[in-house]
Formats: sequence, C-alpha cells, structure tokens
Amino acid sequence: MIGRGHPWLSLAPALCVIAVLFGGGLVLGLAGSFGMGRGDAGLDAWIAVLSEGRVWRSLGLSLWIAFASTALSCVIGLGAALLLRRRFPGQGMARLLFQINLTIPHAVGALGILWLLSQSGFLARLSAGAGLIDGPAGFPALTQDRFAIGIIAHYVWKEVPFIGLILLANMQSLGDDPESAARSLGASPFGAMRLVLLPLLRPALIRAGAIVFAFSFGAWEVPVLLGQSAPTALPVLAWQRFTDPDLAARPEAMAIAMLIGLVSAVLIRAAFARRE
Amino acid sequence: MSTRARVALGLVLIVALIAPLLPLALWSVARGWFFPQILPANWTFAPWMQAFAPRSEIPGALVSTTLIALAASALALGLGIPAGRALGLYRFRGKVLVELALLAPVIVPGIAVGLGIHGVFLRLGLTNSALGVVLVHLVPTLPYVIFVMSGVFANYDAEAEAQARSLGARPLQVLWHVMLPAIAPGIVVAGLFAFLVSWSQYILTLTIGGGRVVTLPLLLYAQAGAGRNDQAGVLAMLSLAPGLVILALVARQLTGRGMAIGGTR
Amino acid sequence: MPLSDTAEAVNIVLGEVEAGATTGAVDMIWINGENFRTMKQGDLAWCGYVEKLPNAELVNFDNPAIANDFGTPVEGCEVPWSRVQFAFAHDTARTDAPPRSIPELLDWIAANPGRFTYPAPPDFTGAAFVRHVFTHVAGGPDALIGPFDQARFDEVADETWEILNGIEPHLWREGTTYPTSITQLQQMFANQEVDLFFTYDPAEVGTAVVNGIFPETARSYGLRDGTLANTNYMVIPVNAANKAAAMVTQNLLLSGEAQLEKAQAEVWGAATVIEPDRASDEVQAGFAALERHPSVVSIEELGQAALPELQADWTSAIEDGWIDNVGN
Repeated sequence: MIGRGHPWLSLAPALCVIAVLFGGGLVLGLAGSFGMGRGDAGLDAWIAVLSEGRVWRSLGLSLWIAFASTALSCVIGLGAALLLRRRFPGQGMARLLFQINLTIPHAVGALGILWLLSQSGFLARLSAGAGLIDGPAGFPALTQDRFAIGIIAHYVWKEVPFIGLILLANMQSLGDDPESAARSLGASPFGAMRLVLLPLLRPALIRAGAIVFAFSFGAWEVPVLLGQSAPTALPVLAWQRFTDPDLAARPEAMAIAMLIGLVSAVLIRAAFARRE
Repeated sequence: MSTRARVALGLVLIVALIAPLLPLALWSVARGWFFPQILPANWTFAPWMQAFAPRSEIPGALVSTTLIALAASALALGLGIPAGRALGLYRFRGKVLVELALLAPVIVPGIAVGLGIHGVFLRLGLTNSALGVVLVHLVPTLPYVIFVMSGVFANYDAEAEAQARSLGARPLQVLWHVMLPAIAPGIVVAGLFAFLVSWSQYILTLTIGGGRVVTLPLLLYAQAGAGRNDQAGVLAMLSLAPGLVILALVARQLTGRGMAIGGTR
Repeated sequence: MPLSDTAEAVNIVLGEVEAGATTGAVDMIWINGENFRTMKQGDLAWCGYVEKLPNAELVNFDNPAIANDFGTPVEGCEVPWSRVQFAFAHDTARTDAPPRSIPELLDWIAANPGRFTYPAPPDFTGAAFVRHVFTHVAGGPDALIGPFDQARFDEVADETWEILNGIEPHLWREGTTYPTSITQLQQMFANQEVDLFFTYDPAEVGTAVVNGIFPETARSYGLRDGTLANTNYMVIPVNAANKAAAMVTQNLLLSGEAQLEKAQAEVWGAATVIEPDRASDEVQAGFAALERHPSVVSIEELGQAALPELQADWTSAIEDGWIDNVGN
C-alpha cells in the first residue's frame, strides 16, 4: 500500500521527475548562460545582459506588469469573493460564470482582450457607433501601449476568478463565526471585515498572489500579443534573443531567462518571509 | 450593501469576464469584419467548414491535444497522488524543503526553465515526439496535482485504514475500498485541472515538440499570426470547449475545500 | 510545420547539433538571408547535393540573384524556391494617390499624420522597409553593394536615423511605439488604423483579399525608385533524419509543374525561380497564360525597378542601429 512506513517512498517518483525536468532545465539553462558547451565559457553573457539598458527597462516593465496585475487581481478578487459569498438571486449562476475564466487558455484570453480593447477593436467600434470617436485614433491606446494596460487587463481578467475562488473556499471553511464574534463585541461590519476576516485570509491571499505574480512576471504568450515594441516584457526579450539568427545571442537569452527566475524567486521569498 | 447593488455589481463583474470571448465567437462566424462595423456584415459558417475540411490540420490537432492532455494528467495523478498523500499525512524532517521543491515549478516562470528543458530532452532523445511533450507537460501539471491532493489528504482520516487492516483487509483492499472513495472527488478535480493545464500549453509544446507535435494552441498562434482571425476564432472556440464541459461537471466541487489550484497556465 | 519564425526552426537545429542529436526534427527549412548565413557559418546546412537534383537544370545558377542569398554565396547548400519583391499596398476606397517613391512617401507621411507606421525590426518586413530608406539615403543600391564597410555605414546610418526620427511625430501614435509584427500592421491597415501596408510578397495582398483579411479595394503597387527583391530557398539541416525524402521533396517543388502551380493566383501567385523556356512545352504555355489576382501588382511592372538585397552584415547592422537609435 502506498505511503506506509516512510513517506520518502511515495515522494520519490514525483521528486525524481521534478528534479530531472525542472532541476535539469535550470542547471542547463544556467550552464547555457555561462556559455558552456560553446567553447568559450565565462561571464560574458551575464556582463553583456546586466550592462544593457534595454534589459533593465524590460525588467522594470515586467515588474510593473507583475505588481499591478497582482495588486489589482487581489483587490478585485477579494471584492468579488465578498460579493459572492452572501446569498442573492442568481448567485449559483453568477458563481458558475465566475469560474469560466479559470478554464480558459491564456492564448485565447489574450487574443480576446486584443480584439476587445485595441483601437479598432470591439469597444472602439461601439464608441464609433455611438459617435464618441471619429476613428481608431480617437480611442485610447489600451493595447500595445506604454503602460501595458492591455497586458495587465488580461492578467486581471484571468486571475480575479482564481483569487476570488481561493478566498471563497477559505471563507467557507472559516464560516461566519469569527466575524459574528467581532460584531457581538461591537465592531462595525467593515471593522469586523478589516480586523478579523482579512488577517485570517492573508496567508491564502499571499499564496495565491505569489502564483499570479510569478506567472504575470514570466509569461511570454500574453505580452507577445498585447505588448508594445520597446521596451518589451522581459520574457519577450529572452525569446527574441533565443530565436535571434545570431548564435552569440543565445547565452544572453539563457541569462535573461535565469534573471527572470531569480527575480521572481527572490521577490516571492521576500513576500513569504514578511508574513513569518 | 443592498441586494440590488449586489446584483448590479455581480452583473458588471460577469459581463467584464465574458466580454473578451464575444469578439472571438463573432470572428468564428464572420468574414471580413472590419472597423467600424460593430457586428459582422457577412455571417458565415465557412470558417467552421474550412476548419473541418479534409486538408485542415485542426481535426488532427484536436485529437493530439486531447490525447496528450489525457496522458499528461494520468501521469501527473499517478505521481502526484502518492506525493500528495505523503505531504498531507506525514510530518518528517525536510518536509518544507520537499514542498518547496515540488511546488517550485509554479513560482519559477516557465521560460526560465523552458529553454533549458529543451537541452535536457535533447540529451534524453525526447524532443519532437508526443511522448516528450507529455513529459514536459508534467512540469506545470504535477505541482497542481500535488497541491490539491495534499490538501485532500490533510483532511483525510487515516485511522479508517488502520481499522480496516485490523479487521483483516489486505493492503489493496484498503486502498480500493477505504482510501479511494474518500479521495475520489479530489482526484477528479485534480485530474480535470491537470487536463486543462496541459490543454493550454504553448511554449513548452513548441520548444519540445519542435513543430512536429501540433496542438490547438500552436495552431491558434499560427493562425492569429497569419491574420486569419476567422480561423483563430474557430480555434479559440474549440479551445474553450473542454473547460466549459468540465466546469459544468464539477462546478460544485470547485468551490469546495481543496480548491488550491491555479486554473490553466 | 507551423513554426511562426524561420529562426525558431534554425534554433531547433542548432540545439540538436549542440547536443549531438544526429536524427533531427527538421528535415527542411524555408529560409533566406541572415538565417541562411547562420546555418552556413555554423555548419548546420547540408551542402553539395544541389546539382544532383534532376530539376536543378531548370534553374539558371549563373544568375547572381539566385547564386547569392542576401550576398551570401549559395554554393550548393540550398535550393531556390521563389522570388519575391517588396511592394506597398493601399485601399483605393480610402487613398487614391498613394506615394510612389521614398521621397514622396516621406512627404505623404508629414501630410497625413498618424496614418503610417512600420513594424519594428527585428520584424523581417519592418527591417526591409528600413533598408529602403537606408538605400534611398545612400543614393541607390550601388553604393552598398559588396562587403560591409563601417565608414560608409556610419555616414549613411546617421542620416537615415535622422530621417526616421524626424518622421516619428507624424507616425501612428506619434512614433512612441511601433507595431511588433507585420501581422499587426496588416490588421491595422484592414481596420483603417493606418492607410498604407507593405509586404515582401505582393501575392499576399491577393490571398488576403480572397481570405477576407483585406477589402476587395486593396491594391499592391511598386515604387518608381525600385523596391528590394530577393530569392528564397529550401535548406536541408546537416542532421536531418530524412535527407533522401527532403531531396525528393525539393526536386518536386522545383519541377516546372510545381513552380507553375505555385504561380497561379488562386494558389499563391509566387514568382518562379526556374527559366520557363527550359521546361516542358505545357509548363511554358502555362506560364504564358498566367492570370493574376486584380489586387496584385504585376511581376513585370514591379520587376522594372528591382533593387538587390544587401549582404547579411549590412542588414544586421541596420537592424541593430535602428533598435539603438530609433526604436527606443
């Protein structure tokens, strides 16, 4: 029977698979960034990448995308969870619809956002039909724009239900007791929420937020469709170098990819450390 | 907040969540839908007919995407259930480290390892094959399965197994009659979401499959990249289908405990 | 193979050869320019078999436009497939009199603010547009023929960046950003965000109309001062698993019948690389009777002013220079 005696036996297969696929990928990526297997091993790629202004601008943009997406998803997700936890007419249907985004591939969502928000997209056409704008240029630039609004809109659209559902599940297991206790001690509804419910939800929110952060920081599929030409999100820059006809750009691609992993891991570690 | 305000806010939320799907659906039945037309001037099923015409790559991609996702989720369950049980039921030295290692693929962005995994698979001779794609899909799927199953096992009463054994049940009987019924709902949720995560992969499939393994997301990007919005619309609709079916089937379980999964990435 | 980018295929081959894989995923790549140079430099291309293909005798390998791929000698490492020439496109329902030379275009941009842009290099078509301006500044292609010359490059580049930065205020979104791909420009043209489109394959304008991507009033046209032209090829990677099958395919694609089929407007409308008079009588008659889509500029009209492509060192220097000086 599985798991009897010692847990290591049941853990071993999964650990091996992760070690080979994930660990092996990291090690080879790191080796590639040092130019190994290419004859001229060294720090050249890292030096080139870290001294390049474009890389830092891309890093800044990716950090902005990840922080804004995570913060907005958490706030709206929390609001949605608070909204959906009480009974109201059509609540069942609303919860079901709320979950749809969870199942939608990012590629599909990003394309949908593009056709919805671009300057000749669905909203722009509605505005033109209503006489609010004369042509595409009259509609605000929401995709391929300087502030990455389209990219952030996609992540928020996709992740609000994710955060919301995790919080809903947590609220269900907490029940109404903590808040009603606070209320009976004289707290206002808002006070009960802020002082009692939110601290109880915080661990779950940080966990879920970390997943959103890592994804929105490192995903390629979304900024490649919705991003501007310069600066590009860091993963797009990494892929550009990876597919550059100039072979010398490859170690740089690996270095940027490792930089993405490193920054993401460090920031998420910091978020968890603050909690403890 | 009044009930009316709640309903209104809920409606705004739902509309915002559905809105991006609307242009996708419209393009799949449109021809030449340009600005400033709000709705297509030419409605047609031609994109769907073309998508399922004899020379189209889409039917084959549907089959391979499905088979790859089935295989990847079955493997992820096979590896993830024991691991989830170990994490959910036992305390042991180094547990935190193990948890971190198993969940790391979720917090380290895919591209950071994806470029390196290609090298690993080349050395293992796994590139350009469906098998290689199935295996690489374990990287994003396995952590989710472990995540969900460790939550399920944390609420699982292992005492029942001891009682069954003391009544003379053999290990396999215990597994089949005691453990499995208790964790079945968790397995369903974990398996279905592993399926969806695999179903949605793009960059890992491209790097490892080398273009030989053609899945729906690859075709979606190829058609969108060629400006064939009608075909991209059809592909988007097809990509939505399993998620909607699965959601209808497990809507109840999703909001329940153990819902620690991240949706599709 | 649905790879969106030739460079991706080259990368797959490179990764395989680095890892020592002898039976690669890629049997054949549609290629030219920088990617071919990369493969040739990295010994990733399988060479020396081209004359063995029976249909190679239909090709005039003495033609410098076929013997050189963006200035890199082909030397039996790839098989020509199509010729293409850069062309612009406009919508006759919106723009009657589009600009027909680079100087006219620059004036037109200033007179029609916000109605023009080009994809940011490293996009292939966007980079080709930048080369047109570069060639114009250099006073024609003759000044740029031959190996890379840093002094000449610096001289021409400074003025080119000045012009391109100068038109930025009149571009789409005041030039603060550029489309990231030719597809984005294609969609923007179709949806009236901009008024001009360009492509390295004018036949594409015809297929776009057929597929409902462009309105039927879209027309492609050439420039009086010429547009760049090049040949594209098929290469077999050195580690291809099925070399014999790839050779058979290449020979088939090079046959008079296949070249004629590909030249049909409803199929693709791509210009041939073979000399029709070396082919069978049926094929010759077929080429004589070709019809083209009304949206596609005729190959004869376009071919009257064809500019040779620059060597790969020039093109990559121009791309990098644009990214550093204009695109930021």
